[in-house]
Amino acid sequence: MDQVLSGEVPLRYAVEGDPAAPGEAPPVLLLHGYGSNHELNWLRTGWPAALEGRALIAPDLRGHGGSGKPGDDGAYTPERIAGDMVRLLDALGADRVDAVGYSMGARNAWELALRHPGRVRRLVLAGFGPRDPFAGADLHALDRDSSPFGRMHRVAGTVPGNDLDALAACARGQASRPFTPEPAPGVPMLFAAGERDAVAADAEELAASCGAEVVRVPGRDHANAVSARALKEAVRGFLAVEAPAGGPR
Amino acid sequence: MTDTTERTFALPDLGEGLVEATVLEWLAAPGDRIGRNAPLVELETTKSAVEIPSPYAGTVVRLHAEEGEVVQVGSALVTFAVEGPAGEADDGAAGQAGIVGRVPQDGEAPRRRVRLRPPEE
Repeated sequence: MDQVLSGEVPLRYAVEGDPAAPGEAPPVLLLHGYGSNHELNWLRTGWPAALEGRALIAPDLRGHGGSGKPGDDGAYTPERIAGDMVRLLDALGADRVDAVGYSMGARNAWELALRHPGRVRRLVLAGFGPRDPFAGADLHALDRDSSPFGRMHRVAGTVPGNDLDALAACARGQASRPFTPEPAPGVPMLFAAGERDAVAADAEELAASCGAEVVRVPGRDHANAVSARALKEAVRGFLAVEAPAGGPR
Repeated sequence: MTDTTERTFALPDLGEGLVEATVLEWLAAPGDRIGRNAPLVELETTKSAVEIPSPYAGTVVRLHAEEGEVVQVGSALVTFAVEGPAGEADDGAAGQAGIVGRVPQDGEAPRRRVRLRPPEE
């Protein structure tokens, strides 16, 4: 059921199970992609069934879904979004989580693990690679931008509840902190993406520098890999094993 | 022998005015026993990918579309054999409007289309 964490920027989120329960396996924090929300990205794609038995925390990132939508670019930097996640984990009594991000959610899950290393046990970066996702886009004129990102932005505009101005501010805020592979979070990582996912191009390179594995889903692209059974099984397996490869423990 | 009733599940309305979806991957095959709410099929619309859970507990009899095929909302997606006497087997599809009535007790194997909403005439 959806709940809202109040604050300067309210956060809508869904919880499954008890994230504060002590146990071997920590809850799984699910971070959705740009222009999506927790429901579209994770619930409707069948992730709760795939991760059955694990407590889940699935927020709408600021600027998205039922969460607050500040108008200024600076509100959307990765550090601000990671800060939201810490605030949410604190409120739910979840000391440590396995973080799973898709696309922009992966970028911010990386940030969370980097800035708050004690809070993340394992990290899954899905639909994500080291390339600049905003390449070629004019982030100040997204309503008529013809780059791949501009087109994705306009598709996002057709999702009920989305606010294109807030999304554009989010894109600029994220772009103001270009991704760098160094420093990398010191937790075990898994990269996973569709074989044809242009956003996740060169994920292999990044994974190699992190000592992590990459799982590729045949025939899938950035838009349709998220619901793939092969992706879910890889993530479930990675989060379940005792000591996975990918970074120091 | 236990009574079974064939139930055909049509592509439901996926919302937001979408009229069709592409089958990405079947998560069950003919002959498989499937639980209600178990993953059934993965679909893609112009906006997103979704996983559809099974509306019934039963056995998969027929898949009505191949992977990669486009299916219209209201068109047959999959047929199940559902255990239980006719008239009671609807329990598995609670919340689906428009599936009232009884299937034939004898003669040909009972078949009918189940629609979540009436087709546009």
